[in-house]
Parts: sequence; C-alpha cells; structure tokens
Amino acid sequence: MALPSIALPGTLLGPADKYLPGPGTHIHASQIYASIAGPVVSSKPSPAAPASTSTSKTAKAPKPLPLLSISRPAPADDNALGIIGNSGGGGTTILPEISSEVLGRITRLSPRFASLDILVVNSSVCREPFQGMIRREDVRLTEKDKVKIEESFRVGDLVRGVVISLGDQSNYYVSTGSNEFGVVMARSEAGNTMFPVSWREFGDPRTGGRERRKVAKPF
Amino acid sequence: MAVNLDRRRINAPSGGTLAPVFARTVKEPGYLQSLRPSRTRGPNEPRQIFLQTGIVPSASGSAYLEIPSASSPSKSTLIPPTSSLKIAASVQGPKPLPRSASFSPSLLLTTTVKFAPFATRHRRGYIRDSTERDLGVHVETALRGVMIGERWPKSGVEVVVTVLEGDENGWWGDVEGNGTGNGGGWGLLNVLAGCITVASAAIVDAGIDCVDMVSGGVAAIIRNPEAKDAKEKVMRILDPCPAEHQEIVAACAVGYLASRDEITEIWVKGDVGTDPDGLIEGATHAAVGSLSVLKEVLLEALEAKFQTQSADANGGLKRKQQDVQMTG
Repeated sequence: MALPSIALPGTLLGPADKYLPGPGTHIHASQIYASIAGPVVSSKPSPAAPASTSTSKTAKAPKPLPLLSISRPAPADDNALGIIGNSGGGGTTILPEISSEVLGRITRLSPRFASLDILVVNSSVCREPFQGMIRREDVRLTEKDKVKIEESFRVGDLVRGVVISLGDQSNYYVSTGSNEFGVVMARSEAGNTMFPVSWREFGDPRTGGRERRKVAKPF
Repeated sequence: MAVNLDRRRINAPSGGTLAPVFARTVKEPGYLQSLRPSRTRGPNEPRQIFLQTGIVPSASGSAYLEIPSASSPSKSTLIPPTSSLKIAASVQGPKPLPRSASFSPSLLLTTTVKFAPFATRHRRGYIRDSTERDLGVHVETALRGVMIGERWPKSGVEVVVTVLEGDENGWWGDVEGNGTGNGGGWGLLNVLAGCITVASAAIVDAGIDCVDMVSGGVAAIIRNPEAKDAKEKVMRILDPCPAEHQEIVAACAVGYLASRDEITEIWVKGDVGTDPDGLIEGATHAAVGSLSVLKEVLLEALEAKFQTQSADANGGLKRKQQDVQMTG
C-alpha cells in the first residue's frame, strides 16, 4: 500500500505489523493512523534502535520495520511578521520531556533548590517559559552533600541542564549533574559578563574578581 | 440581561437596535409574507462553507468559518432575509498550567464560546450568559473525544470561539409579526455545529494530537403545511436555515468523526417522533459535508506551510494559496 504524502488527523497510514508508529501517529484497531497534520515520513530505523524496542516484533519479521512519523512544521522564523495566511499554528509547541536538554534563566534561590524559567527546549524556543527547579542534590554528581546553592547559581544566570522528571504540579525537575551542564552565562556583582575559569569559578574581566558557580564545560 | 450588565462599559440600549421596518409591512398583510425567504437548495444539500485557518498570528492555531446567506438581499427592505453564520476560533497553547493548578497527567482543555454583542438580533452582553456557557460545554465535549491528551502532560490548552454572527432562531418577520416567533432556539444548533467544525480546524492548525477530525452537522425535521405532496408535509432536511422554514419540528446537531464513525457530541431538540436515528444519521451526513471542506482547507494550508519542501519534491506543481469555496 502506498503511503499518502500528506496526512491529516485520522488518515490511515498502514497496518501496525508492517510499520512502527512514530511521533504524530497513533494505533487504532491495529492500524496506524495520523494524529497531526503534516507530511508523512517513513524512515528505516537504525539497526540498533528497533532491536531493543521491539524484540518481539523483530522475531516475526527479520527486517526492521520502517518507522512512520508525521513531521511538524519547522519553527516559524520567517512568519514573525504575522502575515495572515499560513503563519498561525506555524510555531512548534514543544513540551519539556524527560532527558530533553534545556536552557533556562535562574529566577529564585533557596537553600534547598534554585528555580528557573525554562526558555529553550531541545534548541527550539518556547512560546512561554516553563517553570523548572534544580534541587540541591541535582546540581552535580559528586560530593552532593557539600553542594551549596548560593555557590552554584545566582539569579539571572543562564543555565544548561537536562530534565530528569516532569516533577510536581508546577515545576519540571532539572539536573546539571554533568560536565557540560551548568551555568553558561553569568554576570558578576559589578554587572559585567564573566568568563569561565574552572569548573567551579567564573572570572570578571574588569575587576578581576572571581565568583563561584557550577560552570558548564565550554565547547 | 439586567443581571449580566457590565457597569464598567458603555452599554447599548437594553431594547436592542433594529433596522427600520416600513409601514407597508403592517398595512398590507400579504406583503410581509411575500418577503419570506424559502429554501432554494435541495433537502440534502448543505449551504456553502467558507473556511480558513491561520488567521490569528499570535495564537498557536486558529480558523474562521463563514456560511454566507444563501438568499440574495432584497431591494425593498433593509433587513437581510436570512442571517449568515460567522465564527472565529483560536487555540492558545499547549502551555504550562498556572501555578495554582494541580498536577495533571494529560492536557487540560478549556473551551470558551462567546457571542459578540452584535452577533444576534437581540444584543448580547459582554459577560457570558448561560446560553454561551452551555454551548461552551457542548463544544468542549465534542473536542475532548478527539484529542489525545496523554501526549501533553502538565499543560493546558484554551479554545476560544467567538461567534461574530449567529444563525437566528427564525425569520425576523415571524418575530415582528405575531410577537411569538419560532420559539425554540433552533439557530443555536447551527451555531454549535459551526463551532465544532471551526474549533476542530483550529486544533489541527495548532498541531495538537487528535485521533480524527471532528466536524459538526445539523439535520432537522420540518413541517410544511402548504405542500401538496403528503411526503413533503413532514420531511427531513440537512443543514436547516431556520429563517427559511415556517415550522421546525425537531433538530439535531452532532460532532462526528467520519473515518471512525463515532459521535462525540449530540444535541437533539424538539419532537423527534418515531425515527430519532434517521435524524441523527442526517446530521452525520451534514457533518461529512463540512468535513470535506475542512479537509480541503487544511490540506491547502499544509501545502502552503511546507511550500519549500513540496516545491523540491514535485517540481512545478504549485498551487496558489487561494480561498476554498465549495459546497459540502
């Protein structure tokens, strides 16, 4: 059966034993249907991925099943002018998920956690910020008991982290427990943009002062 | 009305404003009746629909629906013979829930239906009244059945439907003439069906996961005392325009998923008689009619969205983005 090039929600894409359902699809009565509007993409999965996800299916079919997915429209960058027509709905609405990499700005500090506004999820800018929280034990992987929040973050710092849990009613839990996660941009008390000095210090180029942060490893 | 008065705004005259009614309608009894519009399309033929998505740039999805008045404006009176239906819908979100809300593992849907103050012959207030809240609940039920809420944990989506012009409940001459009118609120069913269709288009435009596309449709049983044929005395019609019929016996609006053959919302009004299934089936036929427009419009909007990709794929085949106007 030929796949349709463009699908609308409810369009039949194919039987569930011939394809794997990807993003933007759903299964109903062992058939795969589209659940959002967009072009249909059928991709051969990488050999490693399907073996782990569908061991029972690969036992029946020796070939890995192609993955059906509906691609969402690309982030609306040229639609920023607000031209009536195809602009509305162009923006991708993306929610933070577990293990998605986020950029956020610290908004509040407390002895037990730091709050942040999640601004970017997986390199796409959010329409509005999500509330996030870095608990004291998630700041770094080693010597967790000696972490002090006020020596790791300051209000206004830009932080790169990873979502570890959808959290409670209002906050996503973010962790900076890795070398490449932590503060990526910070201003000193004098208000100057600082440069990273070590994994735990930023330096002010004007005053020469040092301030303690959980520093993200520069690329 | 007095309960819903907004003291912070300049309110319209409470009696409403009307286009002038000329003395001739009162003096000549036959003249008023000669202005009465009548249904020119077949019993199974719905009205034309205009639909466009992406009309609100700031919303994540939006759509506008219009069912233009079929009858041509008469030259002898200022009042249009039939009303037209004009509805705009916008979708905000999915966005994070407010701080006060409790944890929700799936998408929280909020639907608001508001008539513009000028939407009907009787002026509406600025604050939502019970009819509008009721319609909102109906639209919400229709949409809840199609959305896959589990894919959007901890987030909410707001569907705001604004009725710019609503179908009226009966012909204006009936209301003017004997004061009773047609009673029943038949226009609301058309408004509900329109709201469902336009909200569905806006949700697909916003890219929220749905199991299918829901569309609204209305069917009615009318009594036609003047008809000679006994079969035409009481008959079932699709997409009734209340102004065109003297007596509507029963009507039904549904929210229908065509490819799954499921109904998510149903509203029946009046004396259905012995065959309620026939009426509901008629409403689903009308819904399929509006679905065909919905599909065409969304495909066109998609093509415009993915223009760069499709231009590479199929060479010179480029359809200009134009308004789709077709019968359902």
